[in-house]
Amino acid sequence: MKTVIYGFSTEDLLDGLGLAQRIRELSGEELETFGFIVGAEPDVDGFDVIYKMGYAPTDAISKAILENISDTDIFIGPATKNGTDIATRLSAELDYPMITEVVDVDKVDDEIILKRQIIGGRGLAYYKFVTPITLTVPRKKFQPSKLDKKPEVKEVSIPEAKIRIIEELPKEKGEVDIEAAEVVVGVGRGFKSKEDIQMAFELAKLIGGEVGCSRPIAADFHWLGEDRWIGISGKKIKGKLYFAIGVSGAPQHIMAAGDAKIIVAVNKDKNAPIFKYADYGVVADLYQFIPVLIDRLKKRRG
Amino acid sequence: MDIGVLVKASLDGNMIRADPDGRINIENTPLLISEYDRNAVVEAARIKSEVGGKIYVYTLLTWGPTKKKKKELENVVREALALGGDEAYAVVDDRVIPCDVTSTAYILSNLIKKFGNPELILAGEASMDMLSSQMPIRLARHLGYNVVTFARKIELSDNKIRVTRDLEDKLEVVETSLPAVISVTGEINRPKLPTLLQIRKAFAKPFKVVGLDELELEDTGRKISYSDLRLITITRKNVIIEADKLEDIADILIDKLIEEGVVRV
Ligand SMILES: Cc1cc2nc3c(=O)[nH]c(=O)nc-3n(C[C@H](O)[C@H](O)[C@H](O)COP(=O)(O)OP(=O)(O)OC[C@H]3O[C@@H](n4cnc5c(N)ncnc54)[C@H](O)[C@@H]3O)c2cc1C
Repeated sequence: MKTVIYGFSTEDLLDGLGLAQRIRELSGEELETFGFIVGAEPDVDGFDVIYKMGYAPTDAISKAILENISDTDIFIGPATKNGTDIATRLSAELDYPMITEVVDVDKVDDEIILKRQIIGGRGLAYYKFVTPITLTVPRKKFQPSKLDKKPEVKEVSIPEAKIRIIEELPKEKGEVDIEAAEVVVGVGRGFKSKEDIQMAFELAKLIGGEVGCSRPIAADFHWLGEDRWIGISGKKIKGKLYFAIGVSGAPQHIMAAGDAKIIVAVNKDKNAPIFKYADYGVVADLYQFIPVLIDRLKKRRG
Repeated sequence: MDIGVLVKASLDGNMIRADPDGRINIENTPLLISEYDRNAVVEAARIKSEVGGKIYVYTLLTWGPTKKKKKELENVVREALALGGDEAYAVVDDRVIPCDVTSTAYILSNLIKKFGNPELILAGEASMDMLSSQMPIRLARHLGYNVVTFARKIELSDNKIRVTRDLEDKLEVVETSLPAVISVTGEINRPKLPTLLQIRKAFAKPFKVVGLDELELEDTGRKISYSDLRLITITRKNVIIEADKLEDIADILIDKLIEEGVVRV
């Protein structure tokens, strides 16, 4: 089967290769693998050929892939925004079905089943693997085994396209790794201003944790950096405690804390969905409760 | 300039019902307007306030049974009309259910061409339930329109459209020409709940429901369909800590967290 794995970095190609190897393992079919890397140098073995191209708008990238490689059975790309955009352009052009963010591949009754998260992580959808198909893969889900096939690298030019890039504005890179933190205090829209978040930092310091937040706090209000954004499109919480304050509990947010050992929720609305996902809940106004909690913690420490 | 907006009646993530075997029970799970489709309607209303024209709301019922779900779809459409839509067109047909994104894009492109045929079409960045982000590009392919995804800002001038795309590591400002389909992020604006007056007015706005026959479609264009939808079970303790004084609640909570071994004092 002819497999094309594209991406913007060596890591993207490795993630795709991991998924391709898993499919080969289960299907028993040999794969011919082509890489397509955009705006980076490939540093990876295990491909027959790797095409490389300068950074370009997504429509130019998908066009270049189609111009250089034909009769593809499987496209695999990164489950990032541009990765998804390109995957869909390829699929729409060729009329291929597409499954985004494949999190698991299994064999059931002789059929290969692909699984993906739906409803913000509340559910899983199962699809029978067919070809041709386009797949996108989340970061580090599938680890490839080492292959020493040295690829031939071919440089390709950027084709004409309908979208033109005018300007790029880099985002500030955050320094906090909340995925590695044992304790995370989560800030939601229950907080009324940026200054008030100081309370969450104080609590986090007392219980030995980092501060994370819901999507609107980071992406919309910019009260905290996007490195602190928890959720399906942000970071996952895997430590001992997630302490959510003024967060309503949308699945897109709270399911990303599914691996946390204990979840605590403070919310003034007793019907907030977050309580369904919590081990311990406090129905209270955060502005009244959090200062009291901080005070009691300090008193215990003496 | 007329603007089209795609809205989806999506499964409500906080009200998912499942059968004893873990399969999601679609019939008994309520439908809601997909969160970021509200942003798309509000953005359409903003653009309309600058350039005039009409806002067409388009939708297709993807979850069945149609008899039960049609009412919920109507509520979703009314909400979109209350938020700024002028007219709405919906496809409701048993033959397309459960509908996947390939057939939805194909059928919607026919609906759009038949009713209104606007030059600019907006959609949310992803639906709340299936989250696949494929619709805008697949639709654009059928319509022969340009397409830009993940817009945080849209600026129109003459025949050009300038879009600030919100990507993981950067903002990317791009330009393309009309006609176009643009998907918007949840951060492009802050939709307010519609007022009672807006809701009342929405009931007076034109709303047409059609089936495949009226679109003269025989095939649904379906490519792939899920074989199963399963609920992930959540097992948490769900203890609400209650006491008369906040101090006592705090103390009980601290004790619990120490007991669980997640906080040290
Ligand atoms: C495709 C898609 C992807 C998404 N990805 C993400 C994601 O990765 N991460 C994410 O977080 N969201 C994501 N969302 C958005 C998500 O659906 C919610 O809109 C968001 O998580 C809500 O954030 P919130 O809980 O902070 O705000 P709200 O939902 O507004 O909740 C605020 C809560 O604070 C409570 N509150 C208010 N005042 C007080 C007070 N004084 N004291 C105590 N409680 C108070 C309220 O009762 C309410 O429950 C996504 C949505 C979609 C459709």
